[in-house]
Amino acid sequence: MEAFIENQFVRFVLLISTAVFLAYRLLLVSKYLCKEYLKQKSMVDRINSYLPQTQCGRCGYKGCLPYARAISQGDMINKCPPGGISTILNLVELLNEPGLRLNPAHGVFQPPLTAVIREEECIGCTKCIQACPVDAILGAPKLMHTVITDECTGCDLCIEPCPVDCIDLVLLPTSSPRYWLNPIIQNSRFNTLETN
Amino acid sequence: MRFAEKIIESLCVSTRQPMPGGIKPPDYKQETLRSRLMPTPIPEELILPLAQHGNSRSRPLVKPGDKVLKYQAIACSDVTGIVDLHAPTSGIVLAIENFPIPSPVDKESKCILLKKDGLDAEIDHNTLANYRSLSYLELIKLIEQAGIFGLGGAEYPSRLKLKSGKNKKIKLLIINAVECEPYITADEALLREKAQFVVQGAEILQAACMAEHCVIVIESNKADAIKALEQTQLNSSIELFKIAAKYPTGSEKQLIQAVTSKEVPSGKYPTDIGILMHNAGTAYAVYQAVIEGKPCISRITTLAGGSLKTPKNFEALIGTPIDYLLNLCGLNQQTHTMTLMGGPLMGVKLARTDVPILKTTNCIIAASEDKFPPASIELACIRCGFCADVCPASLLPQQLYLYAKCQNFSELISHGLNDCIECGACAYVCPSNIPLIQYYRASKDELASQLENKISSEQWKQRFQHHQYRVKKDKEARRDSKRRETIKPTELTLKISPPIFSREAAKKEIAAAVVRVRKRKAQFIASSGGENTETDK
Amino acid sequence: MTSSPQSPPFQRTRRSTNNIMLQVVAGCIPGISIATWYFGYGVLLNVLLSIVFALCFEALAISLRSRHIQTTLADNSALVTAVLFGLTIPPGLPWWLLFLGIGFAILIAKHIYGGLGQNPFNPAMCGYLFLLLSFPSAMTSWHIPNDALSSVQEFAPTSLSGLQQSLHLTFPFLSHNTLNPIEFIDGLAMATPLIESKMAGTSKLLTAWQTDQSLFARSSETAWELVNIGYFLGGAFLLFQRVISWHIPVAIITTVMTISILFYSPGGYAIYGTPYLHLFGSATMIGAFFIATDPVSAATTNKGKLVYGVIIGLSIYGVRAWGSYLDSIAIAVLLGNFLAPLLDHFLRPRIYGHKKGVLGPSDMGGGSNKVIDS
Repeated sequence: MEAFIENQFVRFVLLISTAVFLAYRLLLVSKYLCKEYLKQKSMVDRINSYLPQTQCGRCGYKGCLPYARAISQGDMINKCPPGGISTILNLVELLNEPGLRLNPAHGVFQPPLTAVIREEECIGCTKCIQACPVDAILGAPKLMHTVITDECTGCDLCIEPCPVDCIDLVLLPTSSPRYWLNPIIQNSRFNTLETN
Repeated sequence: MRFAEKIIESLCVSTRQPMPGGIKPPDYKQETLRSRLMPTPIPEELILPLAQHGNSRSRPLVKPGDKVLKYQAIACSDVTGIVDLHAPTSGIVLAIENFPIPSPVDKESKCILLKKDGLDAEIDHNTLANYRSLSYLELIKLIEQAGIFGLGGAEYPSRLKLKSGKNKKIKLLIINAVECEPYITADEALLREKAQFVVQGAEILQAACMAEHCVIVIESNKADAIKALEQTQLNSSIELFKIAAKYPTGSEKQLIQAVTSKEVPSGKYPTDIGILMHNAGTAYAVYQAVIEGKPCISRITTLAGGSLKTPKNFEALIGTPIDYLLNLCGLNQQTHTMTLMGGPLMGVKLARTDVPILKTTNCIIAASEDKFPPASIELACIRCGFCADVCPASLLPQQLYLYAKCQNFSELISHGLNDCIECGACAYVCPSNIPLIQYYRASKDELASQLENKISSEQWKQRFQHHQYRVKKDKEARRDSKRRETIKPTELTLKISPPIFSREAAKKEIAAAVVRVRKRKAQFIASSGGENTETDK
Repeated sequence: MTSSPQSPPFQRTRRSTNNIMLQVVAGCIPGISIATWYFGYGVLLNVLLSIVFALCFEALAISLRSRHIQTTLADNSALVTAVLFGLTIPPGLPWWLLFLGIGFAILIAKHIYGGLGQNPFNPAMCGYLFLLLSFPSAMTSWHIPNDALSSVQEFAPTSLSGLQQSLHLTFPFLSHNTLNPIEFIDGLAMATPLIESKMAGTSKLLTAWQTDQSLFARSSETAWELVNIGYFLGGAFLLFQRVISWHIPVAIITTVMTISILFYSPGGYAIYGTPYLHLFGSATMIGAFFIATDPVSAATTNKGKLVYGVIIGLSIYGVRAWGSYLDSIAIAVLLGNFLAPLLDHFLRPRIYGHKKGVLGPSDMGGGSNKVIDS
């Protein structure tokens, strides 16, 4: 047994096979990393994909893409109320920045909302149609206006221009109730970032 | 040996790869197998829910006050008009309104309340001597008219599964008689006594989906059922396949892997790899529907649990209230703590027991404290890895738990949360009593709503880009029209030719205009990349 | 909705965290008893004292974190940390050094990170290393009490006077002598048992068997081999009970064996000894079966465990042969703990229905469109 161990040839073979195995594994690893690197999209696009696309302007920019551009140039990530906590957390992970609470100057977290026009009071002035960033309001001058609920983002840009104040923001009815709550939310005494 | 092994050889390339992981819990099946299968006495009132299958709605074909006969069609699908509910007994329809249905929370749904008249009079139905005379389409029509849905638990409409045989070639039809979950003995009791009908039903299914081969798979420790099946093998082409008893081999994807060593690709269906699976109870219902002409009105349900004096299997009518069945088995109120619909590992804890049996109810467990202790408190995860050792889908439950706790959804998807079949094996072995399945279900719900959000935000982005394009075009149009007003209408007006009224020319103009608009819009979007051009409002 | 209905499964195995931890302690018992027989009551005293201090520190930490003390102590994790810590420190160590070490292990290496299940490093090894770096001379000398009447060759550490002397070594304030108390005890102070002469020689166990000596006589110097065999048996018990999985111990043992074969030279330096002595002549067995398999700080996927074991094995041999610490288990295990999260990220099993990824995780990009032919 000891003679076998002492044999230089055996040790040489063992060494070479280990080295070849490690080199092959390293080669696979580097190929994988190169492939992943080449699949990346531009930073602005990636930031924009985490924004909710409500185009509401509460962040101070006219639309979500300009805010994404600003973030890529160093702006704060906590200015988007419709994005919820998931936007902030995703941006934290993407940009490797510290997490922040939502800046209250830009609004508060809210459940999904949709605009509804009270049709008895509508005067057909088209001001809300011009204000809507996604053209979700159907109507024409002196004719009835109505909001297409599927297209409405809940951005509330139509509330202000309405001269008779006939638009309400209501909760979006959810499709099916969910029973299962994440136990960490159910059991936690401290709910630090989310207020739902 | 023989044919079954040859089928398997032809379908897979190398040595058989059994299901990884899995657990062997104590099965508690002996108590319910002691007695023979018995038809249930009919309760006074039957509650028949209309929306039985997922989100699909059914429309009642009767109104309150109507007299119905047994096997009469009483509801059909709102969308396709195919009949999906039949009266289990003759009687009078008392009401069609909201009643509580089986659910972990209080939930109500529209149901038909049927009061029996004691006569059990049947409607006329045809029997069929030889199913081979019918084409596969006619067989599928008979099956769908009988209201047969997957009785194994998923309740997928059987006709849709069978129709997929038309487009994709089905090489193997598997009849799933593997009842791996503890306490449930419904399929075993059925096979023990009615094996020949199940085999005939399997043959009908094979003809209906035009499968090349058909096997019945059963656990090797079900001795009586295997003996009954082997006696019927002598005059049938369907093979019997025995597998080792392990939970959750009976799950569709895992059974396909255990039998054929092939895996269903993530996000696809078994028909995409040429395999179709049906439950043994469904095969029996198909036999009854096609040969005896009786639509699906009952199913075998196991009633088990420590609080029952005589646990047994019943051939219960759909719509029988669960507390009626529990009382028939001698429910002991003192020891009864909760009622489960389904098995102990994947079942649902019922909020109330005066709810009806559905087409998918294969077991009711009246649990007592000794075998079903209350949930202990959740301790910290010690990263022991027992959960990963038993996961049948080769996931890492400890990592999924970690990411579900901190709600890191990208890592959850990367670790394969959508491939989790929620079998409960991981939570069964967890030494820290962590309710893993609850974490995964909550995370899947959250992921689903995030996906919805993503789809709608993509839609909003498109609309926003279109809105910007439209506003820009309007502005340019206004600017051009203003400029045109300042030019005097002199020589230009003389040069304008009179309008040609001709259909072809008009069509050509319209087509050219559409092409121009499309090109310009594409150019606009490509050049500015959605850049905000709203400078005035 | 503020609460969910109770989720399935409604039945569970009987095995729970406190059972598993107790089984780990039970697996240590053969090793502890053999070590006590050879090295005196100091070993047992260390273990018992560590347990007492660990439970006190755990209770303190839990009350500071406003959690329930009784539930947390009942999960026996502090017990296991204390036992493993007590086994790695030398007997005869003064009690206040033990106090500092176990305090560091429980408070800083475990509870600062979040308590059970959250510590990235093995707490017992952190405590040991803290003492080793801060009090090197105390930690590298073993004090084994003599029987006062017999000569040095036939020492009997487990007699009553041995117990008395062990107590005096651990609690120096018990002795009446106001001078240096160690001098009063006529003890045998030896360097850590992994001394070079042991490595250079052949197996003492084999020698004792061949010369018909009693295997358990203290003069035959079979101490360390028997202790390691004891831990090996305890580890086999744990494997049989399915408390630990085979990946880490097998990987460590195989790696140490392979690399000691590669570097074996009988005429050269003593540290390049035979593989048998590297495995059984030092603390490798307790490291492989009990210390490295601590589930919280080890890698958690099976492939990851194998690579983790390889890294630890290489480090054990490397630090021993070419580093300055002869007993390298603690350093090797901590090195493995550093790399464990990286191994978990890359070495994942292939999920059902997905193609095999290059580094382990499946290609989740668009899902797999091909049928898997196994």
